[in-house]
Order: sequence, then structure tokens, then C-alpha cells
Amino acid sequence: MKRLVWSLFILALLSALPLVVRTQFYLHIFILTFLYASFANSWNLIGGYAGQLSLGHAAFFGIGAYACAIGSVKFGISPFIGLAIGVIIAVLVSGAIGYPCFRLRGPFYTLSTIAFAEVVRLLTLYWRDLTEGAVGILIPFRPGVANLIFSGKVPYYYIGLIMMALSTLLCYHVERSRFGYYLVAVREDEDAAEACGIRSARYKLYAAMISAAIAAICGVFYVQYMLFIDPEGVFNLNVSIQAALMAIIGGAGTWLGPVVGAALLIPLGEFLRGWLGGAARGLHMAFYGIVLIVVVMVIPQGIVVTVRNLLKVKAARNVEEERR
Amino acid sequence: MSYTFIQVLISGVLLGGIYALISIGLTLIFGVIKVINFAHGEFLMLAMYFAYWMWHYWGVDPYASAIVLAALLFLIGAATQRGIIQPLLKSPASMQIFATVGLSITLQNVALFLWKADYRTIQTAYQASKITIGELAIGYPRLVAFAGATAMTIVIFWFLKNTFTGRAIRAIAQDRMAAMLMGINQKKMYMLAFGLGSACVGVAGGLLMPIYYVFPTVGTYFSLTAFVVVVLGGMGDIRGAWIGGIIIGLVEAISGFYVPALKEAVYFAIFILILLFRPSGILGLGRGFEEVAQE
Repeated sequence: MKRLVWSLFILALLSALPLVVRTQFYLHIFILTFLYASFANSWNLIGGYAGQLSLGHAAFFGIGAYACAIGSVKFGISPFIGLAIGVIIAVLVSGAIGYPCFRLRGPFYTLSTIAFAEVVRLLTLYWRDLTEGAVGILIPFRPGVANLIFSGKVPYYYIGLIMMALSTLLCYHVERSRFGYYLVAVREDEDAAEACGIRSARYKLYAAMISAAIAAICGVFYVQYMLFIDPEGVFNLNVSIQAALMAIIGGAGTWLGPVVGAALLIPLGEFLRGWLGGAARGLHMAFYGIVLIVVVMVIPQGIVVTVRNLLKVKAARNVEEERR
Repeated sequence: MSYTFIQVLISGVLLGGIYALISIGLTLIFGVIKVINFAHGEFLMLAMYFAYWMWHYWGVDPYASAIVLAALLFLIGAATQRGIIQPLLKSPASMQIFATVGLSITLQNVALFLWKADYRTIQTAYQASKITIGELAIGYPRLVAFAGATAMTIVIFWFLKNTFTGRAIRAIAQDRMAAMLMGINQKKMYMLAFGLGSACVGVAGGLLMPIYYVFPTVGTYFSLTAFVVVVLGGMGDIRGAWIGGIIIGLVEAISGFYVPALKEAVYFAIFILILLFRPSGILGLGRGFEEVAQE
């Protein structure tokens, strides 16, 4: 109950924000945060709950984005149909990668996702007729709900907010569902889970497919917001790593973790980039790398769980002191 | 068979030698410590940059610096094991993966910051010289790279097979607990294995420099290839990695000859086929096959 009130309060606060904040730059940071929070949520389903690290989530993100962009620019299809096509392709592809890997243990899935993202990048560069190769696709600016393009940042802000809220709600429900418990059981001890009758390979596959679908939706949002897409921008390893990074720093396998991670890292990254400027190319990614190592070594459960534990310890101490 | 085709095959095998050396380092680390070092490619990048700077400032021949680089990369690898992996040994595998991914991003971007994104090459007197047999021509630097890589492979193989320390490393790879009960110093052996695995890319860096150019993300390309090779050879299987390296070198040369832009797509197809039909690798000695769930 308390959680619901808090969530609604924060949502209401965020909904009212564009009435006050008029600076385009700040709105942009919020939109990016919503987008990456949703993307990190999608990663969290397979990487957090099921414990299957994907380092190629950019592939699904990019497939969604490219399906939508190619559809609307080359074939004149509505972006909503492009969205559906992107999601279907992403889900099928994710199933095709997951099927051989989830029967095995060890880092096979991680390796396949990296390799796959790289291959998709090369194919996009290669099929110039369809994808314009390295030049990228520019979406003509034709505002309108039917084109899913808007002239101001505020509509994107609300769509992003809804996307983040829905994907977080999904994670929240998965965490409390039978499906979510299966995934966690498989992550913690696959043999024990199998012994209890859980088809581990099958549930990992489901999680990977749902995750790919959400990632593809995020990709569509990205391309409709940026109105430009190129292979380096969406298929880069850094994009995949950022999704994982946010979930892990916030707390992988918790519904709140990815949102907290995105809310911390995106503004930090944007300010750092603005502050260090072009003179220090690469430094802000190097900073991400160091943060990742430190988090993994010092608070491997992520911020959310660590703070929760600290609060619990504090509460327990208070109770003890009152007794005395 | 035409001469062109034989020529392609030869260059494939020679290239495969380098892939084999890089992959052996990766598979050695995985086989012993059960950690995939995602920074392996970045270690290679560092080695290539060191070789470049040593040539640039002091005019050191990259083949000579390969020996220094082996020692240097050994230290870097051992330090990584001691500082990052050892504290995470009891954590889930995902945490170890992320620590090395973090290291990889850091190294790549620090290199980008320090040395910019320029492609750098070195010039040597022997760069263009070649050995001609009939109509076939074999580039001298490629031949040296292949010979050096093979020599390093043999040394590592001999070391693991015949020395007391090598046996200790193999024992701890087989069963961590039992080996420790036999009095094998786990920390020391892990540092040694990680160091040896990294020394492989040190040597590879020196051997590659006369053939290839260096830039901050050069490691990504080679590590991606190494992942495929390691899975093809069987995770943790050194002999398999050597054979896998040669096979991928051949595949690259042949597919590069017929479909140049898509050679990586050919790798990936091979990768998926192995996962589907033979996850234990070509020799069947890798880890993973015993884990195939019965469905």
C-alpha cells in the first residue's frame, strides 16, 4: 500500500514536471532517462531475474528502430505497423539465439549476444539499398500522431514516462509471479530448479523473448524521437553495456533497480559529457567502466538492495534502543 | 586447384596462427579460473600500442619488443587476477564477467583519450619482403607471426604438460577444491595462469604490429574472433583452440575471398552451428557438453 502511494506520488510529480520545466535540455535529459530506464528494464528481465547476461541488447533495440525507420521511409508504412514488425523480428531472433544457448551453461549466451549484435551491425552496413549503410536513415519531419512524430519535446516526455511506468510495472508483476520465481530459482541454482520440475531452458527463453520485445519498442521510441538512425548509434557495444550497467548499478533482479540506475547515470553522463566536452573524448565512457568495476566489487547487489539493507539495519537498531 | 586458391589457403593458415595464439590465452584463463576475460582484446590493444611506441620512440623492432611485451602483459594479467578477479571468486559468474567488461570499457576509452582514434602503423625494412615458391608468394611478416605464434603455443603446451607448476595449474583447473587440499597454492596458480594467458596477447601484439595497424578498438575485432575460436575448440581446451584458430583463419581467408563484406556473418553461422550440434568443441574436450540439459 505504502509502495503504491509512493509510486503514484512520484508519477504525479513527474507528470506535472513539464508544466514547470521549460528548458529543452532538461526535458531532453528526462526523456533519455525514461528511454534508458525502459531499456534497462528489458535487460533486467533476462539479465537480472534469469541471470543470463546479454551484452548484445543493442541488437534488439536496433532491430526495432531500423524496422520502423525502413518501413516508414522506404515503404511508407505507418510507424505503428513498423513497431509491430520490429517487435516480431526481435522476438523471433531472440528465440533463435536463446534456443541453442539456454540448454547449455556457462557464458554461451553472453558470447552469442555480443557476436550477434556485431553481425547485425555489419549486415546493416552491408545492405545499403535497404539501410543506407553507414550514412544512416534520416526520417522526414512530418509531425502528427499518425506518423508518431511531434513538434515539441513534451509529447515525447509523456510517451517516455508511460513507457517507463509500464515496463517497471511489468517487472514488478514478474517479480511477484510464478514466472518470476521460476526465473530466480533457475538463476540461483539450475539443478535444484530442474529437480523441482521447472523447465529452465524454456523459461529462460520466454524471458529473453519478452525482453527483446521491450527492447525493440524502446528502439522505435528512440528513432521517432531522434529522427535519425545509423549503425554506430544503435548497434554499438556501448549501447548494450549501458543497459546492463544501469540495471546492475541500480540493482539487477529488482523492479526498482534499473530505474534508479538510469536516473543516476543518464543525467551524470550528460553533464559529464557537456562538462568535459569534445576535448576529452572517451573519458565519460572510461568513467562508466570504472564505476562498473567499483560497483561490482563493493556493492554487487546494487544501490536499491544495499540501501534497503542499510535501512533495515538502522530500523533494527532503533527498535533495540527503544527496548533498552 | 588454382594457384590463387592455394595462396588463399596459405594466408588463411598463417592468419590462423595469430588467432590461435590469442585464443589460447583466453581459453587458458577460462579453463583454469572459469572466468571469461572480456578485457582480453584490450590487453592485445595495449600490447600493440606498447609495440608501436617502442618502435616510435626508440626504434625497437616489434619482434624484439614481443619478448618484453610478454613479460609486461604477464604482469598486467597477474595484477588483474589479484586485484579484480580474486576478490570476486565467490561471487556469481555474472559479476566476474561484468568486472572484466568494466575493465575493457575503461582501457578502451582511456586509450581513446590518450592516443586518439588515429590508425597507427609502423614501417620496417622487411615489411614487404616475401618468399616466393613457384607462383606462390608468402609474406615474410606473416610467416614470422605464424612461426612465433606456434612457438609460443608449443612452449605453453610443454610447460603445462611437463613442469611441476604446469601440472599444478592443470590440477587446479580440474578440481579447485581437491587441488587445494593437495597443498597447491590457489592464489599463486591463478595469478600464473592469468598472467600466462595475457602473455600470449603480449607476444601476439608484437607479432601483429608489422602486419596490422593499431587503434583503440582494435581489440574488439580480435576478441570477437577469439570467442568464436574458443567455442569452436571447446571452452578451456588449448589444443582445440589452436586447431580452431587455424580453421577460423582458413574460413576468414576463403570467405574473405568470395564474400568480403560478410566474413563475420560466416563466423556467426559457424558459432551457432557449434552451439547447436557440438557445444563441447571440435575435440569434444571443452566444458559445456556435460551441461546439456535433457529436453
